[in-house]
Amino acid sequence: MSGEPSIFFADVNERQGSFLRRTFVVGGLTTLGVTALTIRLAQLQVVQAREYSTLASQNQFNFRLVPPPRGRILDRNGVTIAGNRPSFRVLVVRDETKDLDQTLDLLGRLLPDTLDRRRAIIRDVNAAPRFSPVPVKSDLTWEEFAKVNLYAPELPGVMADMNEARFYPYTGAFAHVIGYVAKVSDRDIKAIRDRGEEPPQILFNPGFRIGRSGVEKALDTDLRGEAGGTRVEVDARGRVVAEDVGGSRPAVPGKDVVLTLDADVQNRALEVFGDESGACVVMDVRNGDILCMMSAPSFDPNLFVSGVPTRTYRALADYERKPLLDKAINGTFPPGSTFKPATALALLAAGVDPADRVNCSGVFRTGQRCWGRHGSQDMHNAIKNSCDIYFYTMCNRAGVDLIRDTAMKLGFEHEFDIGVDNQRKGLLPSTEWKRRTFPRDPVWHPGETTSVAIGQGAVTVNALQLAVYTARLANGRKAIQPRLIKSVGGVDRPSGAEVPDLPFSVEHLDIVRGGMIAVANDRSGTAYRQSQLGLGDIQMAGKTGTAQTRNYGSGNRRSNVWSQKDHNLFIAFAPVDAPRYAVVVIIEHGGRGGGTAGAPRAREVMRTVLLKDPEMRERITRPPPPEATGPQIDEGEIGAAPESAIAPPAPSVPATPRPTSGPRPYLSGPQ
Amino acid sequence: MTSSALTRPGERERLSVKLTQIDWRLTALLCVIAGIGTAMLYSIAGGHWDPWAAKHLIRFGALLTMMLGLALVHPKWWFGAAYPLYGVLIVMVLLIEFTPLGYTAGGAKNWLNLGFIRIQPAEFMKLGLVLALARWYHSHSAQDARWSWKLVFPAGMIGLPFILVAKQPDLGSAMVIGLTGAAVMFLAGLSWRVIAAGAAAVVAIVPPFVMFGMHEYQRNRVLTFLSPESDPSGTGYNIIQSKIALGSGGLLGRGYGLGSQSQLEFLPERQTDFIFSTVSEEFGFVGSFTLLACYLAIILIALRISSLSHSHFGRISSAGMTAFFALFVLVNGAMVMGLAPVVGVPMPLLSYGGSSMMTVMIGFGLVLSTRVHRYVELPKGNGLI
Repeated sequence: MSGEPSIFFADVNERQGSFLRRTFVVGGLTTLGVTALTIRLAQLQVVQAREYSTLASQNQFNFRLVPPPRGRILDRNGVTIAGNRPSFRVLVVRDETKDLDQTLDLLGRLLPDTLDRRRAIIRDVNAAPRFSPVPVKSDLTWEEFAKVNLYAPELPGVMADMNEARFYPYTGAFAHVIGYVAKVSDRDIKAIRDRGEEPPQILFNPGFRIGRSGVEKALDTDLRGEAGGTRVEVDARGRVVAEDVGGSRPAVPGKDVVLTLDADVQNRALEVFGDESGACVVMDVRNGDILCMMSAPSFDPNLFVSGVPTRTYRALADYERKPLLDKAINGTFPPGSTFKPATALALLAAGVDPADRVNCSGVFRTGQRCWGRHGSQDMHNAIKNSCDIYFYTMCNRAGVDLIRDTAMKLGFEHEFDIGVDNQRKGLLPSTEWKRRTFPRDPVWHPGETTSVAIGQGAVTVNALQLAVYTARLANGRKAIQPRLIKSVGGVDRPSGAEVPDLPFSVEHLDIVRGGMIAVANDRSGTAYRQSQLGLGDIQMAGKTGTAQTRNYGSGNRRSNVWSQKDHNLFIAFAPVDAPRYAVVVIIEHGGRGGGTAGAPRAREVMRTVLLKDPEMRERITRPPPPEATGPQIDEGEIGAAPESAIAPPAPSVPATPRPTSGPRPYLSGPQ
Repeated sequence: MTSSALTRPGERERLSVKLTQIDWRLTALLCVIAGIGTAMLYSIAGGHWDPWAAKHLIRFGALLTMMLGLALVHPKWWFGAAYPLYGVLIVMVLLIEFTPLGYTAGGAKNWLNLGFIRIQPAEFMKLGLVLALARWYHSHSAQDARWSWKLVFPAGMIGLPFILVAKQPDLGSAMVIGLTGAAVMFLAGLSWRVIAAGAAAVVAIVPPFVMFGMHEYQRNRVLTFLSPESDPSGTGYNIIQSKIALGSGGLLGRGYGLGSQSQLEFLPERQTDFIFSTVSEEFGFVGSFTLLACYLAIILIALRISSLSHSHFGRISSAGMTAFFALFVLVNGAMVMGLAPVVGVPMPLLSYGGSSMMTVMIGFGLVLSTRVHRYVELPKGNGLI
């Protein structure tokens, strides 16, 4: 094919023609492709524009929750009993660390104790949402805080900041009544969902705390406030590019809660309890304000704020005196002889003449024994001497149902609306109860009334009920209601004074009160020596109680084993002429003899309360005119000197029970 | 040029005449696109010339000069260089594959390190291939181009670099090489029947290849394309973020420098493969449509230029270049709009990156040269193949 052209003219034309056609095809296809792209662009940018710009702003803006400062809890005088304190903490953001393990290694060099909790930290960090900081350690010292800040540039993803931590300045004194806050648990979230509510987002913020018990729990939503938020602009790595870009909402601080409690009284109560276990409730008999509601022994609620170590928790939970139990409202005890005023009121209501006498020979006809041999007793003396035989003999003239009815009107077997739950009602037996509970032996035997009459048997009460009961007796007219929460966010809760009258005649109440006054002020009363206040002419009335904790006759009641000792109770009110305050002390396993453990402590608490009352102080400093006579009280060894009486209660504790020479302890209870 | 037929001999060889023959509309459109690219790179750097915008502009300036220079080069030189250039590039690819001069970056061994310079022969391979194919078709009849045994030569010329580059493994470049080659064969007049058969074969082969013949990361890219929402933080992230950028731009855009997706780095690879999304976000549908229209205009003008050439070499080579350019535009556009898998194809002249810009500008140098020398008739060539 050397000489001839391999491509002829026609062929060249054909080649060119074909190419031209193909060029048109390529141009057409390209135009088609660009048109398709344009249609796609229109779909994305015009039809779906709104949807995608929402997505873009979700990328761009992040709503960072700002936790609200938790409301304070104050006592009646404005003293902070639960507040907030600044706390330095270290946080880790997983997605900003290069390598979590390596970062924690380095952090461990700065804060050695994070190494011990490493596994828990890694779990927390991995559970948190992307780019959300997880607190790794709180309550850093200033030095630690400075160290972390210094090395922060070398520790990507680690930062230190300051936030507010709950703080309880009085540690144990209010642990039960105001409770504590703790980390939000899955169970808290579930509880909210079970109520059909959507848990607020702030609860998922690492480091947020929720009220776990007491007032902190009951008023959690009020105390919590409302989370605010700052809208921040973030980049793809979650770093904040611009703060506060508009649309931010400030946090609404939690409301302050004012309680009716008095911090001085509460502290004094815990102080006088020493190592003893039990509860103390103080109430203003005029309006029901609870000045003190204390359970001993106690624990430090601050431990629970940052998470209590298991070992500490076990120690608290395992201790036989049960520091974690709120004995003021959640512990129930047999009231023992402190119940006798209620029985006496029932007898009066049943028409028993208070002058009717019963001879106490020390042994009842059923073989039940009195703790003493009191001789001929009328009602006044029976209360004063706490004579069991009198009540054994008389009780069936009222009957168990009337006793129960009377006791209920005085506040027993009742759950009071004081703003916190966790109350146990206790029990007042009745024929109906017997029928329900013992189907095999449904009939109430008159012999069973005897133990109820002296506050034993199935009768159980809590300390708050005892205080309401004492306050109602002392008030003498109003069926006052207890009040613990004075105001929430400046709005007052209704006072306990605006209540109906007690359904008892004033004469009957006077008879019972007369007996209680004699207990504390008659030289032969069961708690005479322990009830002298030493505050001028102010006198206290009271009633002792010793409650068996073991089955009748099941062994030696003189046992020295703590858990086998009797409970020791004392109820009191003062001043006797114009009652203002009721004090109830329950000493769990405090030993026999109402005057021994309970009364001196009740007196000390009562002294504190009275000395805090300006009118009472005025009355003490300005002695009444000479004609006003009260029982001789200045015994020197018991009463305090007038000068020291004016000063706030001395820290020295004269609360150690003095050996009783007067009334002998119970020898035995009803068999 | 109505005077063309009456031009005196030697007139067309004069430099001043040649310069008037350069298609200045095309050149202007190229400048517009590169200018938009520079502006976008300036925007996404937060209003800074560093690190991209300044380099992009300087490179374009240099390459523009080079392109205009190449436009004056007589086709005989292009014709003569076609086979040697192709051969050298094949040798380079082989060197990468079989000698320690190969250099790995980004998962693919596609750089050649010659000590004094590092180059990516796969980029230039497309150029070399188009020139070589054009030369081959120049010497062969329409009959040969339509369907004959001789087509094994162009097929081999396409297949060899395709396989070598795919082995690196740089699947994106290999696909472009393959598709560019196929486009040249189509333009040269390949029989429609053969095209239909080839398309059927591709449909039959591709799915099994995706499942078994691909590397893990490549397969993930393809599968993610099919449903990006299945892995929003992993490989689907790019597509989702790009669609958000496009969509949030709306009709008129969010304003220059105000696109949150690109400014806050939600958009990945925003200076290279996904720069079109930035344009769309900041200038909206109007802006991105205008940009697409510019690209379409360039392509159509370039195709028109190729059809004016008197030599078959000029026709095939310039149309091949245009096809290659069109492929880049369409594949990148489809990718950022979520219509094609993420294959690492940049938007020509808009994306930051020297190699691809250089290839494109050399290509347009060839196109312009074809226009300037459209009356030149090249000899049939020696009977080498």
